[in-house]
Amino acid sequence: MRRKMSWRNLFLSVYGWLFLVFIYVPILLITVFSFNSNPVNMMIWQGFTFDWYRTIFGFPTELNELTLYVESTDQLYHAVLNSLTVALITTAVSTVLGTSVALAVARFRFRLKNFYRALMFMPMIMPDIILGIALLIFFVSFGFGLGLHTIIIGHCTFLSSYVFIVVSARISDMDDSLEEASADLGADGWTTFKRVTLPLIAPGVIGGAMLAFIISMDDLVITYFISGVDSTTLPVHIYGMLRRGIKPEINAIATVMLAFSFIIASVGLYMRSRKK
Amino acid sequence: MSKARRTLENRRRLTLFGLLLPPSAFLAIFFLGPLAIMIVYSWLTPGLYGGVEWKFFHLNYGRILGWADTKYERFDPVYFEIFLRSVKLAATTVLLSLILCYPVAFWVSRMPEKRKNLVIFLITLPFFISLIVRLFAWVLILRPTGFFNQALMGLGLIDEPLEIIFTGTAVVIGMVYVFVPFMFLPLYASIEKLDLSLIEASQDLGANRIQTFFRVILPMTLPGIVGGSIIVFIPSLGNFIGPSLLGGAKVVMIGNLIEQQFLSARNWPFGAALGMMVMAAVLVLLLYYIRIVTREERQADGPNVAEEVAA
Repeated sequence: MRRKMSWRNLFLSVYGWLFLVFIYVPILLITVFSFNSNPVNMMIWQGFTFDWYRTIFGFPTELNELTLYVESTDQLYHAVLNSLTVALITTAVSTVLGTSVALAVARFRFRLKNFYRALMFMPMIMPDIILGIALLIFFVSFGFGLGLHTIIIGHCTFLSSYVFIVVSARISDMDDSLEEASADLGADGWTTFKRVTLPLIAPGVIGGAMLAFIISMDDLVITYFISGVDSTTLPVHIYGMLRRGIKPEINAIATVMLAFSFIIASVGLYMRSRKK
Repeated sequence: MSKARRTLENRRRLTLFGLLLPPSAFLAIFFLGPLAIMIVYSWLTPGLYGGVEWKFFHLNYGRILGWADTKYERFDPVYFEIFLRSVKLAATTVLLSLILCYPVAFWVSRMPEKRKNLVIFLITLPFFISLIVRLFAWVLILRPTGFFNQALMGLGLIDEPLEIIFTGTAVVIGMVYVFVPFMFLPLYASIEKLDLSLIEASQDLGANRIQTFFRVILPMTLPGIVGGSIIVFIPSLGNFIGPSLLGGAKVVMIGNLIEQQFLSARNWPFGAALGMMVMAAVLVLLLYYIRIVTREERQADGPNVAEEVAA
């Protein structure tokens, strides 16, 4: 019996480690080959180079112009700037909206509560493409004109519900007697909110905001439909590059993005461990 | 005293109103509004040069479902076939990620606490990595000159590169890779909750391993299985990024078809009708999920998958 158990555990370990290899090898390959100097076949190692990074940051290189894809780094910077603008505004707006509904649902009694719960879950289970085309039809038929503002509005619709769910989870772990105590001791509603409720839900709010920021930076499908001609974000820009042809600079761009994702995720994890 | 209570009550009501008004207004206009207008669009007449005419038209659905025999057009089952193929590819994605994740979830659930947190972090970390970057990685691997073919040729297993990219297989591999963390979390949540004494009881009562698995373990982890499957199925079904990068023009899924209708063919009403097909498939699945979960909850407190994933 004991021996059999250990055989099964061995199988599970090997399988589990293989699974982690499956998850991380593709990412690792991008990073390693972003330093490959072979301009023709980026998967055959020819030598170490920083040239692809020089290219995307706009430094002069010794590369043949024909092998380059990023004609102007301006476009790339423009896309990055757009992404950051959208993500920052979206994060602020959707954090306020999502937290408001979470507080209302958790701390008040009203008739439409279940309706609000369902409403906040809907964008999460809706396929991206549906929300994308619905927003496109809506913006165009009401003459909004596609641009950064439509991307921001679009992102807020579904990111509010991500914030809502993260904050709600935090509130449900929370003890509401503290708020009652504050009210009993004579604090008015605003003081109680500022001094008691907000500090208590802050980790949830920050977590929700970070999630909103990451998803907004990464969203491709919805943005793809509702971004105007000169309001592309970074993922949309890269998607366009990939569709026109695979060039080695994309490796470098992808690696820089990977680095950012790892930093943000690690900060998130660090904050979560401090919360506990 | 009662007056003081009444002002307190009024103030609470005002606060509630203030909390709910902005999000309600926002979501009513920019979420429910667009959905409503999409449904309306799917029943309108497509204009000759893009745009719509505000006339009722049921042939958008007819072209998909089979009653579009008009003077100008004969019914062509190609659209319904694309829909079915997308359902099939999405279902394959679900099945593969399930098979991939189930043992892993068991593996993780047996770990000591500290290591467990690290491994869960490692498995969910790709969620924070841009989707386009992760798909791009597989383009690099599966291309004829890509890593996979180079490796096989280097080992002398094949002489010519295999044609993997631009096939359904490539699309499924990419989608499994991208959506696998969604499957892992709900599965892990339900496997973690497994009561080990029930498994022992089953074995004590003489059931063999296979019986124990199918009669005890599988039913008890069913909410996780169904929840994870739905969370993977929904984004797989409407996906067009994966198919366009890894499937090229050869593997057209319903997502690509919808994208074409909106961005190149400019037949928006037909595109909206195709979108409604995707919605319908998703709704059917959700209703099924709700039925399973409520049945489980009546027996015991089942996990809420959506919340697990968000948290």
